[in-house]
Amino acid sequence: MTKSEHAAIDRYVNMPELLARVEDDRELLAELLALFIKDFPKLRDVLHHAVHADVPSQVEEAAHALKGMLANLSIQRGAELAANIEAAARAGDAREIQLAMDAFNAEETGLLPAVAAFMGGE
Amino acid sequence: MKILIADDDAVSLRLLEKTLERAGYEVTAVSHGRKAAEELCRPDGPRLALLDWMMPQLDGPGVCRTVRRKRSQSHVYLVLLTSKSSKEDIVEGLESGADDYLTKPFDLGELKARLRTGMRILELEDNLLEAREDMRYKATHDSLTSLLNRGTILELLAGELNRKRRDKSSVSIALGDLDHFKLVNDTYGHIMGDEVLREVGRRLLGSVRSYDFVGRYGGEEFLVVLNNCVAEKSVDRVEEIRKAIGSSPVRTTHGRIPITMSLGVAVSSPSDTRPLEEILCEVDGALYAAKSAGRNCCRLGNVCPE
Repeated sequence: MTKSEHAAIDRYVNMPELLARVEDDRELLAELLALFIKDFPKLRDVLHHAVHADVPSQVEEAAHALKGMLANLSIQRGAELAANIEAAARAGDAREIQLAMDAFNAEETGLLPAVAAFMGGE
Repeated sequence: MKILIADDDAVSLRLLEKTLERAGYEVTAVSHGRKAAEELCRPDGPRLALLDWMMPQLDGPGVCRTVRRKRSQSHVYLVLLTSKSSKEDIVEGLESGADDYLTKPFDLGELKARLRTGMRILELEDNLLEAREDMRYKATHDSLTSLLNRGTILELLAGELNRKRRDKSSVSIALGDLDHFKLVNDTYGHIMGDEVLREVGRRLLGSVRSYDFVGRYGGEEFLVVLNNCVAEKSVDRVEEIRKAIGSSPVRTTHGRIPITMSLGVAVSSPSDTRPLEEILCEVDGALYAAKSAGRNCCRLGNVCPE
């Protein structure tokens, strides 16, 4: 793996924390990241649909699910941003939801490529 | 130890599964609440569970409520593991019947420590149940023969007398007394006498049906309750018991000791409304008649001696 691939994943994932959580099991780490690559786009699409449909309860639910997945993989900033969407949806604040969504979208743009590159390098 | 994990997030589920397997647990992983409740409510289901809060079909608190409502045998230790972390959420989770609450992402050390706490509590409960069962057994059984004790056999007999009135069936009651048992004690000593009583208990149990009751009534007296046994059959049944008792000498550490038993029988028909004491009086009279007739026989009673 190149230094730049390491740097890319480190921007999103707290790797020491994640490695500690998986007890330094690289096979498990690869398995979890593969599941993430498969499931994350689905959850993200559910969130987008809920935002477009303007149903705060569904936004809250989808953001909550994303928050849990991201937190488990020590994708801390992503989890924080998903938590912001969840909080805004719980408050029923459409403007806050949109602002939180914008921040989340900006953050997650590079996330999947970084994880995929890391997986390829591993 | 079996543990159930329920989470609709595949990443979380796999992470937990692997972590817990590594820690020595036998893991059942499910992805929705309905399946979790079903597994936990099975009599041989896991007694330790980690439940996500938000799941399809039935959420974590819903699983807790279902398990608490349905399962009464032994405690299931339920831990909610969720990224909901407000005080209100914690209170709601615990109020639903969860024993503990952990927030995602879990800390490995904390997760293991809390599960060990759960196991300690389950172990404590098992010990209490075992002690209670042991006490219940001691309170209802004779310590020498392991047959039902006097109080219990009389209680069961009273219950059967009520039941046969409802079911319109008959109950036969036999009271047996070992012949010349004092001589056994005097000749071979009380230790041998105890061996004989234990063997008599075994022979009695071996000669009745699984739904009959046998109890030690007094020193060398035994009460047998033959459920659903009509008058015409009762003497034959009790004769079989008598023959089983005297079939061969009892082998003891001090040699073979021949034994016989005298038995009195009473039958309570569906229309019989006599109280228990009166029926016991009748069976006692029948036993006296068997003794008077030369012992090692049985007699059917019909009158209560004055």
